[in-house]
Amino acid sequence: MIRFPRSYPVAALVALAALAPIGVLIVLGADAAQFFDSHSLGILINTLLLTLFTVIGSVLLGVPLALLTAYVELPFRRLWLIALAAPLAMPSYIGAFTFYAAFGPGGEIENLIGLPMPGVHGLAGATLVMTLYTFPFVLLTTRASLRSLDGSLVNASRILGLSLSMSLWRVVLPRVRNGIAAGALLVALYTLSDFATPAIMRLDTFTRVIFVEYNAFGLAQAAMLSLQLLVIVAVVLYLESRVGTSRERPGRTLSLWPNRWHIAGASVAVLIVAGLAIGLPLFIFAQWLIREGSGGFDFVYAWNSAYSSLLAALVAVVLAVPVAYAAIAGRAGRLMERITYLGFGVPGIVMGTALVYVGLQLPLLYQTLALLVLAYVMRFMPLAVGSVRSTAERMDNSLIYAARTLGATHREAFRRVTLPLTLRGIVAGAALVFLEAMRELPATLMLRPTGFETLSTYLWRVYEAGYFGRAAVPGLLLVLISGIALAFMLSGERRAELTMLNDERS
Amino acid sequence: MQRRTFLQSLAALVASGALPPAISRALAADRGAVSVDALPALEGDLTLYLGRGEGGLYEDVLGAIKQRNPQLNLRIRRGPTAALANTLVAEARAGVKRADLFWAVDSGALGLVDDAGLARPLPEDIRNQLKPGFRYPSWSPVTGRIRTLPYNTERIAPEQIPDDIMTLADSDLNVGWAPAYASFQSFITAMRLLEGEQATRDWLQKIKKKSRSYAGELGVVLAVERGEVDVGFANHYYTLRLKTGKPDARVDLAFTRDDAGCLLNASGVMALSEGETPMNFIRYLLSQEVQSYLVEEAYEIPMVQGVAMPQGLPPLQDINPPEIDLTRLADLRPTLDLMRDVGVL
Repeated sequence: MIRFPRSYPVAALVALAALAPIGVLIVLGADAAQFFDSHSLGILINTLLLTLFTVIGSVLLGVPLALLTAYVELPFRRLWLIALAAPLAMPSYIGAFTFYAAFGPGGEIENLIGLPMPGVHGLAGATLVMTLYTFPFVLLTTRASLRSLDGSLVNASRILGLSLSMSLWRVVLPRVRNGIAAGALLVALYTLSDFATPAIMRLDTFTRVIFVEYNAFGLAQAAMLSLQLLVIVAVVLYLESRVGTSRERPGRTLSLWPNRWHIAGASVAVLIVAGLAIGLPLFIFAQWLIREGSGGFDFVYAWNSAYSSLLAALVAVVLAVPVAYAAIAGRAGRLMERITYLGFGVPGIVMGTALVYVGLQLPLLYQTLALLVLAYVMRFMPLAVGSVRSTAERMDNSLIYAARTLGATHREAFRRVTLPLTLRGIVAGAALVFLEAMRELPATLMLRPTGFETLSTYLWRVYEAGYFGRAAVPGLLLVLISGIALAFMLSGERRAELTMLNDERS
Repeated sequence: MQRRTFLQSLAALVASGALPPAISRALAADRGAVSVDALPALEGDLTLYLGRGEGGLYEDVLGAIKQRNPQLNLRIRRGPTAALANTLVAEARAGVKRADLFWAVDSGALGLVDDAGLARPLPEDIRNQLKPGFRYPSWSPVTGRIRTLPYNTERIAPEQIPDDIMTLADSDLNVGWAPAYASFQSFITAMRLLEGEQATRDWLQKIKKKSRSYAGELGVVLAVERGEVDVGFANHYYTLRLKTGKPDARVDLAFTRDDAGCLLNASGVMALSEGETPMNFIRYLLSQEVQSYLVEEAYEIPMVQGVAMPQGLPPLQDINPPEIDLTRLADLRPTLDLMRDVGVL
């Protein structure tokens, strides 16, 4: 008799659940009047343009900054990297919200300094905001590749007569192409699934139009649009799986010693980027806080956010552990793990549409916290799986064999050897799920129980009602809690999100 | 009345524990608003679907009612009015029932739910309190609002604004609008009923070319004031509220005549489940205290007899709203299809 690894049954169940939303959407979408019309074409073009421009923008911003932080011997290097990675802690809709309020005629900046400012909205505005909050993906993946290269090749090319910039261009960049591509695909995935940024920038992308349809309870039409969006996401995920890494024997990392002018120039560049992405929103929130105080804010919102996200993190980790072990155990398990990754590609608004329908069919679940947490888990569990698996893979198996030889049962070996050794990965994965669930907006809007307001839904309500000043406290709290979760994650496991995607490629 | 006095007066009776003397007499009288003192206490669980929070003022009213009735466990689900109306219908179709009450900022949405047969008939005393012409069998208007054209006083002169909403499409004015907003959709429904499908389609197409969209109508008025657009389409009170906080605001109100552009629409409430508590909740919303609070703080038009009108609005006899039965605004689906077809939604 063939013996399956113990982790398989659970992993198989989880994989099945991950496929369910797509099935629901297909059933729902079958009722839609039209599969594709001229209106959909406009949405498609907007969505693709926004994604393309954001990818270009984040590569143009991320790659030079990656070179800077990887190779240049700057004072306080660590601090530079933190400042540049920090936009990851901020949901892009907070950026969109504050940019929208800060710029334009009569905006906060004009009120403050009296200079007329161009408005930030539409395709250009959405691209600007998305770029500022996604370039760290490119920065981090590119930097990781850069750090793994052998610097002596550059030295060789310079000895043979190439200038520094030419050797970076011809010797270094071709070898980190995959790193750049990995980051760029993450950016594309993020842009495709973001809902609030295009909505605030008044750009009709798939996510925004799905929300409009959902609000008119055109579930069939919303499902049809969701499926169209998923096709694009699938293409990105496919490209993502095709990006391979070329492993090099690690050598000495290149070190460049800048003069004073270089440092000044680099500082200005970094200050502008970090200032726009982090400084401006914090400044605007501070302004609003001083002007309007904390009126209308109830700390229950913060508790609700944290509570539902904690539940999601817990459930996600409990399910992620068997899936991660199944992936290591064999080919079938690897396939199951692959399937659960689908959830990460399903935008929140799509997951919401599917689960609202499921809830209506199963009234026991409708508008319950359980359904909301389920949505979070299905979307973000892959992050936990990746994090757990990468720590588990690095573990030395001979320790388990040793434990078994010394008489421990399977169970005891798992409990006393495997689990403690993967705990860091588990904690990091949980922190990552928590972080993402905290800032998830559209699925929360659609699925939350009645009376259940979170930081993100309250922010959205404030935006819709036009009472911007009231966004200060929830906005600052969201950034603060995200920052803490991010710090937690980085300490538990360095950049689990990126590790996951790096592993997937290996 | 200041917000604080309102909250106090609404909450005051809790401490004294005095029971209202002649509830039945007060309720049966056909003579306008009843004081909350005459209303029975609310008890038990109530789930209210609230179409938009109206920036805290509806919240204040709900907060005061909760404070006055500690035995009441009120759960509120907020969302765009049209979305909640559609949700209620979809829930009913799926056999799911969650809401006891629906408070909508727009009568079209109430009509939609009413047409699905979900509303409970109103007792006589509630209907008799309302202004004649606004008495409906299964839902009660709470406050009224008029469609207006807020315009930027620095960019254009009032004479530049046509007093016919249909000819506005041929002017060279830039327009701000909120097509996803329920009141706007009711306005288009009214236009469709008054001017016909084709004229409305042409109008939408022309306006679309010169318009900018906003999430809500406060956003529209703010954009007009900021000078992003010349005129906007919005309910009257957003402008009045903005001007209270900012008396030198560069915005003023213009009205069209006798067409959908100056539709008098109403927010309203309906009970979705049996029992006295939902009906009593509606009585609270129509009480003297709540009505005057919404008039004074939110600049809405009272729907109960004998409550004073808001300041800053031209007298009602100078405004010429079109003759239209508000329940007919429930015919929302063709409006949404039309708007989607033209590509404004």
